Amino acid sequence: MVSQQRPVSDFTPTPYILDTSVLTDVARGDADVIGLLQDFDRAGQTLVVPALAAAGALLDGRGTPDAQALLAGLAAFEHAVVAPLDGIAQSAKLVDTMAVTGLDIHDAHAAAIADVSVCPILTLRGGKWQRPSRALDNPLRIIEIADPDE
Amino acid sequence: MIPGMSGDRKARITITVDPGVLEYAEHLVATGKATSVAAVFNDAIAEKRITDQRALALLRERARQADPERVARMMRHVNRQLAEHGFPAASGE
Repeated sequence: MVSQQRPVSDFTPTPYILDTSVLTDVARGDADVIGLLQDFDRAGQTLVVPALAAAGALLDGRGTPDAQALLAGLAAFEHAVVAPLDGIAQSAKLVDTMAVTGLDIHDAHAAAIADVSVCPILTLRGGKWQRPSRALDNPLRIIEIADPDE
Repeated sequence: MIPGMSGDRKARITITVDPGVLEYAEHLVATGKATSVAAVFNDAIAEKRITDQRALALLRERARQADPERVARMMRHVNRQLAEHGFPAASGE
């Protein structure tokens, strides 16, 4: 999982963690969401792709042409990092997060990383995060991607 | 790797790999499917680079179809929320 590190330069942007809803839209080829993420990357903004959230996106997008290739393209962004689930301690943290929040394993991976790293989660569905966020000792920082004109 | 495709001189590195991966690389050499273990790893990384570049090109192609004004509105919306949470704005705006 991602740990928050001390800045190595004058300014290191706080990484953003992508949830399953964002990754699902990428896997479906949503041009605007992909364009937004590309702008983040070009600005040097680290984007964290939780491996299990990516699995959830691929599950949602089964049968969608290019779903895997699009997520692989996202992972190939200069500032994108795929966060694996590594070892027993992280597995235990994931299970604890699932038990406390009621999230499925895919978004629980995003939540567990956010809880440890104190990084915001980017989502297309802010509403689904309200209860899980409140269930944790320290509420998650949820940032909704939306067009306010719609 | 296709002979002659890389004109660069080879660099010597030391890497640590899974035993099963090494076993398979050695199998490829023993059966004449690769010239050396180094060639197996060289080819694998070269292939990964091509795969990554193709995937990135596909993603960038989709991004070219984005509505710049809508993306800008979404960026401003994200930045407003980041500020509310005490984070610096994403600098893509």
